[in-house]
Amino acid sequence: MSDLGNLQSLTSSIAAVTSPFRNYLNDLHEKYRSLNEGKVADYIPELALAKPEWFGICVVTQDGHVFEVGDCDQLFTIQSISKAFVFGLALEDHGREYVNSKVSVEPTGEAFNSIVLDEVTNRPYNPMVNAGAIATTDLIKGKNGTERLKRLLEMFERYTGRVHDINVPVFLSEKATGYRNRAMAYLMLNFGMVSHNIDETLDLYFQQCSIVVNAKDLAMMAATLANGGVNPVTKKRAIDERYVQDVISVMLTCGMYDASGEWAYRVGLPAKSGVGGGITAIAPGKLGIGTFSPLLDAKGNSVRGIKVCEDLSREFGLHLFNVTTPERKLHDWIAGGDGINDW
Amino acid sequence: MPKVVSVHSYRGGTGKSNFTANLATTVAALGHRVGVVDTDVPSPGIHNLFCLEPEQMGKTLNNYLWGESPIEDTAYDVSSNVGLNSGGTLYLVPSSVKADDIARILNNGYDVKLMNDGFRSLVKALKLDYLFIDTHPGLSKETFLSIAISHVLILILRPDKQDYQGTAVTIDVARQLNVRKMLLAINKAHSKLNLEALKQKVEETYSETVAGVFPLSEDIVQLASEGVFCVKYPEHPVSQEFRRVALQITEG
Repeated sequence: MSDLGNLQSLTSSIAAVTSPFRNYLNDLHEKYRSLNEGKVADYIPELALAKPEWFGICVVTQDGHVFEVGDCDQLFTIQSISKAFVFGLALEDHGREYVNSKVSVEPTGEAFNSIVLDEVTNRPYNPMVNAGAIATTDLIKGKNGTERLKRLLEMFERYTGRVHDINVPVFLSEKATGYRNRAMAYLMLNFGMVSHNIDETLDLYFQQCSIVVNAKDLAMMAATLANGGVNPVTKKRAIDERYVQDVISVMLTCGMYDASGEWAYRVGLPAKSGVGGGITAIAPGKLGIGTFSPLLDAKGNSVRGIKVCEDLSREFGLHLFNVTTPERKLHDWIAGGDGINDW
Repeated sequence: MPKVVSVHSYRGGTGKSNFTANLATTVAALGHRVGVVDTDVPSPGIHNLFCLEPEQMGKTLNNYLWGESPIEDTAYDVSSNVGLNSGGTLYLVPSSVKADDIARILNNGYDVKLMNDGFRSLVKALKLDYLFIDTHPGLSKETFLSIAISHVLILILRPDKQDYQGTAVTIDVARQLNVRKMLLAINKAHSKLNLEALKQKVEETYSETVAGVFPLSEDIVQLASEGVFCVKYPEHPVSQEFRRVALQITEG
C-alpha cells in the first residue's frame, strides 16, 4: 500500500514537471525574463538589494497541483500582500460589522501611502492602503505584541503550509523610516479610529510587511482562497469560509494600488501586490498564481508579474467575467495528452 | 510536431546505447533533423558510437545542468562522423566523461525540471523533428522524467528472467505516467530461439507491441562500439530491422 503511495507521489511530481501547463509557464517565463522595464524599490536599503533578474512564476491548482518555473524558492518580503490576509484575520477576530466600522472598503484612486480619511465617517478608505491596513492590524487580537505577531505568523503558515519568519533588517528599516505611516496612525488616533496601543500596532504592521515568503507561498495563499479557505495541499483551513469572499472582493477592487480599476478590467483576477516584487492572484474555484519579480512600475506593481497574469488570464479565460471559450482549456493543459501541442 | 523518443532498459548491458545510436541514425537517414541526448550522466558512452572523442568535446550536458551554458551550445553535429550524407542531420549532446564532472553531478544532484526545460529548448533551437533520449538503466527520477516526457518509449530487454521481471516493473511505472506510446525491442536473442514465437510470447506477457527482435549478432560485436552499424552495413538484416522500427516511430 505504501509502495503504491510512493509511486503515485513520485509520478505526480514528475507529471507536474512535464505537464503542458508547466511548459506553457516556462515559455511565459522565457518571454518576459528579458523585459527590463521598471525599477527595484529603494526607499529602504534592504529592498534595493533585490536582483533585477530574479523572476519566478508558480501556479497551484484548486486540487493541489503545483507548477513552478524560475526563482520560486527565492525569498523576499511580503510587504503589502500581507494586508489582504490580515484583513481576513481581523474579520475572524471581530466580525464584518465591527471591522467595517473601522475601515471602509471603497477604492481610493489615490496612491497607497496617501493620507486621506473618509470625511464623514473618518474611516480610512480600504484595508489595502496603508492607513486602512494599520487600522486593520490594530484589530488583531492578542495580549501583547509577541502574541499578536505569533498569531499572524501562524495564520500565514496555515495558508502556505510552511513556517514563516520576519526579515529583521527590513523590519527595523521600515520602522526607522516609517514617519508617514506613524503620522497616519496618529491622525486616525485623533479620530478615535485606532486604539491607544499605537506603537505596538505600528511595530506589528512593520513586522507583517517584513514576513519572508517566496513565489510558491504566494501561489499557495491564492490557491487556498480559490479553494474556499482550505489549503489544497495540507487540507488545513486557513480562514473562516464566511470571510473568503470579503478578502477576495477587496482584492479585486483595491488590491493593485491605484491601478486596481484597470487591473479588474484587463485581468479580472482578484490580486494583491507588494513592493517586494510579489503578486498573488486568485482564479476562484480554479487556481492561485504567485509571481515574483522585483522590477516595479510607477504604481508599485511588478512589471513582469502583471504581464504574466495578463497572459494567463487571457489565454486560459480566467477573467472573472469572461464568458467566451478560451484559446486554451485549463483542464486539458494541466492533464496533458495527445490533443495538446506544447512544443 | 516534434517527437521525443526515450530508449530505456531496466538493467544494464542490454545494448541500449548501441540501439539508440542505430535507431536515431536510421531516422535521420530518412531525411529528418534528429538530436540525441546522453542522459546517462553516471556512465556516459554513446559518444563513442558517434565517433566524438572526449578531447573534441567542449561543453557537455553537465555544463547545461550546472547553469553554465544554454543546452544548444552543448550539441555537436555528428552527421558526417557517422557518414550521413542523405540530407538528414544528427546532433549529439554528450555527457562528460571526466571523473570529476561525474562526481560533481552525483554529489550535488540537479533539478530534474532543468532536464525537461533543456529538452524543449534543444528541440526549438535546433528545429529538431525527433529527440532521442539515451537513459541510465534502472529507475530514477531522470528515467521517470524521460518516460513522462516521451511521445514514444522504447523498452529494450533480453530474453532472460531478470530482464522480464524488470521490464514488468518499468511498464507499470510507464503506465502510471500515462506514457503515450510504448514499444518493446528484444535484443541479443540467441540464434537458436524461434524469434517469431519469442515475439508473440513477449507481446502476450506484457500486452504491448514488440517493435523489433534483434538477434545476438557477431557482426555488431565485431564492430565493437565504434561507428554506427546500420550506416556501414545498410543491407544487413539487423539494419533492415532498425528501418522497420524507425518506420513505426515516424509513421505512428
